[in-house]
Amino acid sequence: MNRTHLDHLLKLYHKEAYLWARQCCSFDEELAKDILQQVYLKILEGKAKLKEEEKAKTWIFSIIRYTAIDQLRKEGKLVSMEDSEEIADIEEEVDSTDYEAIIRLLPRMQQEVILMVFYHQMTIGQSAEILQISLGTARTHYERGKKKLKELISIAQLQDQNGK
Amino acid sequence: MENNDQLNRFFEEMKAKDAGLSVPPFPTQKPKKLNPWIPVGIAASLTLIGILVWYEKPVPEPPAEVIIITLQQGENQQQEITIEESTYLETWESPTASLLTEY
Repeated sequence: MNRTHLDHLLKLYHKEAYLWARQCCSFDEELAKDILQQVYLKILEGKAKLKEEEKAKTWIFSIIRYTAIDQLRKEGKLVSMEDSEEIADIEEEVDSTDYEAIIRLLPRMQQEVILMVFYHQMTIGQSAEILQISLGTARTHYERGKKKLKELISIAQLQDQNGK
Repeated sequence: MENNDQLNRFFEEMKAKDAGLSVPPFPTQKPKKLNPWIPVGIAASLTLIGILVWYEKPVPEPPAEVIIITLQQGENQQQEITIEESTYLETWESPTASLLTEY
């Protein structure tokens, strides 16, 4: 793939790549910009190569995720990747329109699968590729994440109603 | 059929909110400007190399190691002695060389 075509692909997914980078680092905008720069550098220096053009989005998302994990680890901000099965308690009142705060209450893997499927319109299979887990495991994260998110939304809405 | 209406609505609203985010511009790679001093430097180096290559150093005279004393007959039938200094004998003829050829 030539450089112009690669540039075109990166431009095409730029906005979505930035949003995903932001989601991968707990919605930290500055960190997301930094991560995206690192990702583009990796790609343009040939450290990350796209083999199948039809998987460009999965490829970019995958690089972003690993770059974000690396950066968070360096900064000591990486929370354990192991999912807790218990639903996070909403100790403080959460605004039902504070979408990011609600998503942050989900275990990390569930957040990622749910965001990829519902926000970025990807399949569970694609999210499994990005997370480098089996389809079955991705499906489990998806189902549990969905269930928990529904509960969290309901709780936040209930809190909103009670507060009003 | 799974009912994801609540989640779809949640994410639609989240996307609408994110639409207000300022996305950083896609980094464009500007062609690197050549430092104007680079070609000047290259030209100067090549000139210097040219000068060094073409400049011929005068070959110093080798020190004289051989003294050639020649006895010649002058115009007035007088014997003249000439003394020369050289690094080597350019011509040297054995006094008996004629014997080899004429014998």
